[in-house]
Amino acid sequence: MADRKLGDPIARDPDHRNDDHRDDLTAQSVSIVIDGHQLHASPGETLLEAARRVGVVIPTLCHDDRLKPTGACRMCLVESSDNRRMVPACRHPVADGLEVVTDSARVQRHRRSLLSLYAADAPDGILPGTELDAHVLRYGLEPTLPQAEAPRAGRPDDDNRYILFQPDRCILCARCTRYCDEVEAVAAITLAQRGSQTTIATVDNVSLLDSTCELCGGCIDTCPTGALVERKAADRQEDFGDLEPVRTTCNYCGVGCQFDLQVDRAENKVVRVTSPAPGLTTNDGNLCVKGRFAYGFIGHPERLTEPLIRDKSGQLVATDWDTALQRAADLLTGVRDRHGKDSLGFISSSRCTNEENYLVQKLARAAFGTNNCHQCAAT
Amino acid sequence: MTNSIQEIRNADCLFVIGSNTTEAHPVLAMEMKRAVLRGAKLIVADPRRIWLAGMADHYLQLTPGTDVSLLNAMAHVIIAEGLTDEAFIAQHTEGYEAVAEAVAEWTPERAEVICGVPAEDIRVAARLYATTHKAGIYYTLGITEHTHGTDNVYGLSNLVLLTGHLGRESSGLNPLRGQNNVQGANDSGASPLYYPGYQRVAEPNVQARFEQAWGVDLDPIPGLNLNEMMKVIRTGEMRGLFVMGEDILMSEPNVSQLEAALPNLEALVVQDIFLTLTAQRADVVFPASCFAEKEGTFTNSERRVQRVRKAVAPPGQARADWQILLDLTARCGYDGNVGMDPSQIYDEMAALCDKFAGISYARIEAEGGLQWPCPTPDHPGTRFLHQDGPLRGKAQFIPIDYRRSTELPDADWPMLLSTGRTLYHYNAATQTRREEGVNDKQRSCFVELHPLDAANLGVEDQQIVQVETRRGHIDAAVRLTNRVALGRIWLPMHFAEARANLLTVDDGDGVTGTAEYKVCAARIVPAGTVPAGTVPAGTVPAETLG
Repeated sequence: MADRKLGDPIARDPDHRNDDHRDDLTAQSVSIVIDGHQLHASPGETLLEAARRVGVVIPTLCHDDRLKPTGACRMCLVESSDNRRMVPACRHPVADGLEVVTDSARVQRHRRSLLSLYAADAPDGILPGTELDAHVLRYGLEPTLPQAEAPRAGRPDDDNRYILFQPDRCILCARCTRYCDEVEAVAAITLAQRGSQTTIATVDNVSLLDSTCELCGGCIDTCPTGALVERKAADRQEDFGDLEPVRTTCNYCGVGCQFDLQVDRAENKVVRVTSPAPGLTTNDGNLCVKGRFAYGFIGHPERLTEPLIRDKSGQLVATDWDTALQRAADLLTGVRDRHGKDSLGFISSSRCTNEENYLVQKLARAAFGTNNCHQCAAT
Repeated sequence: MTNSIQEIRNADCLFVIGSNTTEAHPVLAMEMKRAVLRGAKLIVADPRRIWLAGMADHYLQLTPGTDVSLLNAMAHVIIAEGLTDEAFIAQHTEGYEAVAEAVAEWTPERAEVICGVPAEDIRVAARLYATTHKAGIYYTLGITEHTHGTDNVYGLSNLVLLTGHLGRESSGLNPLRGQNNVQGANDSGASPLYYPGYQRVAEPNVQARFEQAWGVDLDPIPGLNLNEMMKVIRTGEMRGLFVMGEDILMSEPNVSQLEAALPNLEALVVQDIFLTLTAQRADVVFPASCFAEKEGTFTNSERRVQRVRKAVAPPGQARADWQILLDLTARCGYDGNVGMDPSQIYDEMAALCDKFAGISYARIEAEGGLQWPCPTPDHPGTRFLHQDGPLRGKAQFIPIDYRRSTELPDADWPMLLSTGRTLYHYNAATQTRREEGVNDKQRSCFVELHPLDAANLGVEDQQIVQVETRRGHIDAAVRLTNRVALGRIWLPMHFAEARANLLTVDDGDGVTGTAEYKVCAARIVPAGTVPAGTVPAGTVPAETLG
């Protein structure tokens, strides 16, 4: 990655193995033991993948199923009989006869001390509800280390309204930059600087608005620490757990992405939009800029809130439902009575639900007897 | 789509034509990127050098409206070089000879003259598509928004049938639906030709089925399509219109004609979430609910029926569209819907449609989305179509011939104009233009112009120019770019104060009525130099969005 300039096309990687080409693999399998579970695995599978199949949980931080494994965060180290050092389960391949131990005292000690190092580099503390926090709760911190004085550079002048980078929360797992390279493939952000100065940057630290970024927000979705957050909701980040998720289908294009509207019930308001975990839905955990961020129309002050009818002077004025429904029915039946049923047309909407489209065509056909009914995307 | 979205990642060849996928279907495009990064070959055919073109192995920059010549030439190569799937053709198709005859004269050299793609590139693309086992075609409105849109689709389906790239994972013919529920609106019978489930209104046993279910007499004569409806408003044959969730004064082609004819309507009832341009002209406006405020289902491009769930209450007195429709239908004299809820409405439809008969809210809740055909409650749904050969009988080859688009450039109107969507806004943009974060990326209308054309016209990047056609004119900021070829311009459809559809032609495809949004003749005039009175001005709406 270091040789490539930002914005350049992503180089082909014929060995990219984060795919589902299992049917291309030879049928041969290997036999391994993980925490006492005997199992068969396919050559090319990783210890992490094999362990999941028998329900053995190995903690990860830099891993995301959508990305090539890098083994950078060291969270997934386990003991493996083919190596005297511990190995990263996310990228260590299975081999015949391998014996793997994922919860020995040595592994547990490693997890605690690694998490202590991450905690020592988190001046604002570890954010509740994040993947990193879940690991700390599960595995603990030991020893307690003094806070490191190694501030990372942020992008304080980045004026995009959607994606906020909080460098003090970053652990440099590089999931965001790899997502930007490998999934969205726009290469807008990268690791920059060296040593303790290393940070997530754009070219010349410009705003994401002036980069190749398309504001998909996948970097936020994959971040395990909350260092990347929706700017519109950033002031509530500590309380994200109080929001109520409502799983629904995006209303923009025809891909049908599933997402969770995160609702503040008391305020009757959508606070943020999150995607289901990778692997669960058609969109594989991905969303685009519109699906993730363009929900401001939902409670927008310009929404229509009252039925309107045209008065004698030609103005649209507010009225009640009873009056509006009767006026509409009188107007439509009046046209039918004067000019015939086929002088009426019904335009339905590809933005509305199946049930609503069904009802519009039934209105046209059953109530008025005309087939002059078409959905709006027809032209 | 005959295939499913997640099958894209396993394809070995993607032929993307008339689809700016990264902007119009960004998340589906991520699957394409994933396939290409894995090593799949990518062929992109598009008049504009879109983002995917930069990732493509073969980019075919065809002239807008010449798809038939390109596709016939690809078919020619596949037949001439013996790359057809003889067994598939014999077993599953009919009409091969007619297509073989029709494309015999369509050599790549002949097509090159019309579509502008070098003959050798056509050959290479045809070979690659034909000889790759897992090869899928993906298309969108660049294929269909033409007066010969149906021919374009036939051209693609001929390629599929010649090569047998059908009925397998990652191999098929995949229209990507532009809007969240285009698929579902069609499925649900919002069509002048079909009842729900693609059952023809003209077929007596179908008519009887719905008459019995609904308890009314029904009309066996197909209705008018949307394009025809808009035209008979002008002639006075249409006097009343109900419009749900569309801003026709933004979205319909050659819209100044429609706008001028609206006074012919004695009834215009609009149901929407904002006071759109169309709603401003209505006799009655019903305040409706957006997707986050109601229960229901959408069906995506891969035929997957998924739930829409209520997350927040609608504002003020606004109500869910389905509730409004139940009440309106009752007031209009039909009482067969009273008291239904969305899951019951779905059940009523499913009971009338074999394709969806096995789908219910309870199953979607338990299993996630279900892909039709799903004929019974124990059917798992269908990931890709035509697995055991065509769904019905034999697949038909359809011979097609190249026809010119309705309005091509000439001396007075020298530029070829296409219109479309961008990543940052959505259609009439009633939703996205109220979102500051995307407005930061794209605040107002622009026109993509080749730098050499700009030099000839003496205009600069960002300069406001007037884009004119025989039907109207709008102002737009010049965006200098090599994405468009010389002599061609492109602009988005999203801006109410610069409506692209004041410019477009309203001739429709003979079968579908879909209008030719992708091709018309235009010229560019630097602002301030327009000869007065030369072009009929569209009515510029007094109230445009913020």
